[in-house]
Amino acid sequence: MNEHVVDVGKRHIKEVNEEMQEAAAAGKSIRVVNTLSRHNLGVGLPDGTDISFEGSVGYYCGGLNVGAVIDIERNCGWALGEGMSKGHITVGGRAGMSCGAAMIGGTIHVKGDAGPRCGVAMKGGNIVVEGKIGYQSGFMAHSGKIIALGGAGESCADALWEGEVWVAGDVDSLGVDVNVSEPTAEEVAEVDAILDPLGLVDSSRNWRKMVSGQRLWYFESRDASAWLMI
Amino acid sequence: MCGIAGRILNSPGRVGNDLVELMDAQEHRGADSTGFAIYGPVRDEGYVLRGMGFDKAQLDANLDDFKNVLRDHGADHLSEPEILVDSNQHYCFRMEISEPKDLSAWVSDADELSDRIEIQSCGKSLEIIKDVGGSQVVADKHGVRDMEGTHGLGHARLATESSVLPNASHPFWARPFSDVAIVHNGQITDYFTWRDKLERRGYRFLTGNDSELIAVWVSDQIKSGLTLEQALKKSINSIDGVFTYMIANTGGIGFAKDRFAMKPIVSIERGGDICMATEEQAVRRIVTEEAEVINYDGPSLTGLWGVGNRRLAA
Repeated sequence: MNEHVVDVGKRHIKEVNEEMQEAAAAGKSIRVVNTLSRHNLGVGLPDGTDISFEGSVGYYCGGLNVGAVIDIERNCGWALGEGMSKGHITVGGRAGMSCGAAMIGGTIHVKGDAGPRCGVAMKGGNIVVEGKIGYQSGFMAHSGKIIALGGAGESCADALWEGEVWVAGDVDSLGVDVNVSEPTAEEVAEVDAILDPLGLVDSSRNWRKMVSGQRLWYFESRDASAWLMI
Repeated sequence: MCGIAGRILNSPGRVGNDLVELMDAQEHRGADSTGFAIYGPVRDEGYVLRGMGFDKAQLDANLDDFKNVLRDHGADHLSEPEILVDSNQHYCFRMEISEPKDLSAWVSDADELSDRIEIQSCGKSLEIIKDVGGSQVVADKHGVRDMEGTHGLGHARLATESSVLPNASHPFWARPFSDVAIVHNGQITDYFTWRDKLERRGYRFLTGNDSELIAVWVSDQIKSGLTLEQALKKSINSIDGVFTYMIANTGGIGFAKDRFAMKPIVSIERGGDICMATEEQAVRRIVTEEAEVINYDGPSLTGLWGVGNRRLAA
């Protein structure tokens, strides 16, 4: 596969993304350089795209991904892969706030830490974070799994729907309406199947699986005082 | 939404130019108005003022009244004011003055003229320049790129809590505390509660902007005996809302971030110089090579950077 190099610098992002789309349509692998943490890079890339970003990217990188394989060398800003439905995104460094927000499919793999509200309102897919997930991660996740290998920050798994938050390591505090359980061997095998292609299976981990307590699902205003967090 | 930025240089230099770049990169966060707080050389005697008048047709008469109040307090202007007049109704001025007997009392009396003429900043070092429009427009009009100093703040405003007026732009001076300026991204939800308390303590607010309140709140805490670091930490649980603000004095820049972690801030250090901004892509305007960026992502965070690259606390 031929490689096409996209130089970002101070160019208009619409022009940069159009160049990526044209290279992807021509079946070329894409290497993006001089990224300067710019926003909105690689949004809406088509299935089959193979793209790598040298350095760090800004907000919304890989948003609405429908099947591209995206590799980010260093860090990413807010809302990596927002709304993605398919594909794979790897972040070599850390991810900013709302990583994988509202994603419905595919996999995000963060080798460092992830910021607050990782997986907020996600509706499917998997987010694997080798480091720690930030404040209120998993907030209102409807489906899918957030798997944190390095612990979790405050208010973890707050107000979940049917999503799951898996944490190996310390959890600073739980959010509201969380049920914590020690997973069964079958459930761990499901998670290991996600971690295996990433080379991250480790049988010595002590997992905590967090799901919704389902009490907020039928919230009544007269119970409001029970949920006050501050 | 708003975008905020800070810059500290290891040795005095073109801090104005860097702040213009930082704000230009964040203009999409709000182009209603742009402002800069620049900390230049520290004076041994007297203060430098930045001000704004609202009716250029009355410029001479209003400035005369302003000078007379200054004289009533035992001070005077040290040179003729530098006045900037353009097609707008308002005009801006810069004035160097000798020291009033009581700074707070003079500011209080000068503020009686604030429907006509308003002090934007007063300090041994601080100069606040702010106006309606984007960063390049404001910078070109006021010559911000050429302003030198050790550190400063920048702000791109998306007006939400008060009008799009030149004097409602950020940064805000913590009147009447010399050399204290603030930039803020967020909303304070108990604004009127705190404003009432602070007004009972004798403070005056010239706008309905919540950022003006935080500047005075922090300064009042310091006046009451707290250190800047303690005041920053206290603000997180005392002031209600979603916010990240940066506050500066002649010694450096501090920031505080609320309990909900909604408003981002990052920093980057290169060669002893430090950049802070709402967005990482802004600090990359200044540091183009790869360098470690610190994301202050979590809730309830504070930080303090001292001039001369002294990391004071975080």
